[in-house]
Amino acid sequence: MSHNIYLDYCATTPVHPSVRDAMRAALDETFGNPSSMHSAGRRAVELVDQARAEAAVSIGCNAEEIYFTSGATEADNLALLGVMRQRSSGQAHLITTATEHHAILHSAAQLEREGYAVTVLPVDGKGLVDPLAVREAIRADTVLISVMLVNNETGTIQPVAEIGALAHERGILMHTDAVQGLGLLDVSVRTLNVDLLSLSGHKIYGPKGIGALYVREGVSVKPLAFGGPQERSLRPGTENVPGIVGLAAALRFTGDHKPSERSRLRALREYLIGGLKARIPGVLINGPAEQVAPHVISFSVPGVDGEMMLLRLSSEGIAVSLGSACNSKSIEPSHVLTAMGLPPEQIGRSLRVSLGYPTTQSELDQFLSIVPEVVEHVLSVEQSTPQ
Amino acid sequence: MEKYRICVIGGWCGNRMVMVAEHLQDLLKDKGTPCRVITHSVWESYTRPPASDLVLQLLPAFTENEIGCPVINIKPLLADLDHPATINKVLQHVQASYPV
Repeated sequence: MSHNIYLDYCATTPVHPSVRDAMRAALDETFGNPSSMHSAGRRAVELVDQARAEAAVSIGCNAEEIYFTSGATEADNLALLGVMRQRSSGQAHLITTATEHHAILHSAAQLEREGYAVTVLPVDGKGLVDPLAVREAIRADTVLISVMLVNNETGTIQPVAEIGALAHERGILMHTDAVQGLGLLDVSVRTLNVDLLSLSGHKIYGPKGIGALYVREGVSVKPLAFGGPQERSLRPGTENVPGIVGLAAALRFTGDHKPSERSRLRALREYLIGGLKARIPGVLINGPAEQVAPHVISFSVPGVDGEMMLLRLSSEGIAVSLGSACNSKSIEPSHVLTAMGLPPEQIGRSLRVSLGYPTTQSELDQFLSIVPEVVEHVLSVEQSTPQ
Repeated sequence: MEKYRICVIGGWCGNRMVMVAEHLQDLLKDKGTPCRVITHSVWESYTRPPASDLVLQLLPAFTENEIGCPVINIKPLLADLDHPATINKVLQHVQASYPV
């Protein structure tokens, strides 16, 4: 029996009908290039401006501080490379953490290759970075601190506001990747004490291929690409008007539903954890019990291969995600769970379940009814065949 | 054509599964026990593998009862193609059951 249950909302979310309708209208009725001077172009500009204003309201900034990008990966790259490259290599220092998204970690690695100094701070067993460790890592040449708001693998909520405050005490810029928090947490650039913030459309029931970077007025960022005046030359190229409209619609939709969904999903998360503990002896929940987003659960089942569990669940029509990734050379353990100090066996047996607005208790009941069978089967295979 | 059929089962690591299969095929030929080594990805299709004399699993997909032939877990080959204990286990099994 195929259940068709999607529990991988951290990977991506379905486009909400209200977003689709807004985008369809933009596609059908406003195809003009915003750079054109005629009326079709002006209508497109109006849509982009309106979307920019809505995006700004959703995170508590001014419209002029929003720069649309192709997604959060580009926004993260733009934030880190664009800020750091304002200084010469060898004269600027970046602080980030070991559990950031690869969009941050790989950008930081690129900066290191270019000669910039980078400090990647460790996290504790819950995935939390210690603000005191951030304070101690600050140097005279520290330019930027980047700490994600919500971890995409464990749901850990980092103390961004506290770190932002100490960054500002020292005249250092603060960036956060808010992608996984935006759909459920109250995100305000003022409250979070951030100067730059990355967001993505497809994690909040919007389309793929659109995101944005908030850049506080007065902060200088060097562009990564060249060729036009769009987005005030920081992100040149003809605007993705339907995507931008979709992003604004998604922000509007999530903004309207955040408070109720936050409490509903938090209850469902507790329900799921309780169900897992009741049905699977020894199940381990990876990540913190508190200071955690309401929609992410990472767990490991001792002795049970994570990939095999995922494939068995997938064959039953249930979509979850893995804590480790296998590539052509080896199994790569999750860098997040590794940084949290989890043993490799536990990491290889980890699965991530992420809940979304469409998730129902009935779906979780079906998931919980199937998981013990899957665990039992994988265990039986592991125990019955020689290693 | 080789009469002894081996199926290597893999998951998402499709490239690695092919590399393991090719490596084992070369190794078994060098040892004088040439085999027909095929692959079966349960990530692409969660179905039972083709009829085989021996199934080698990179992940714990099936029991011997389910597929009706001997099964050896070869997960260590994901990280090390020449993992000695795992290679020995495969060679011993093939040599003991190879048709003469």
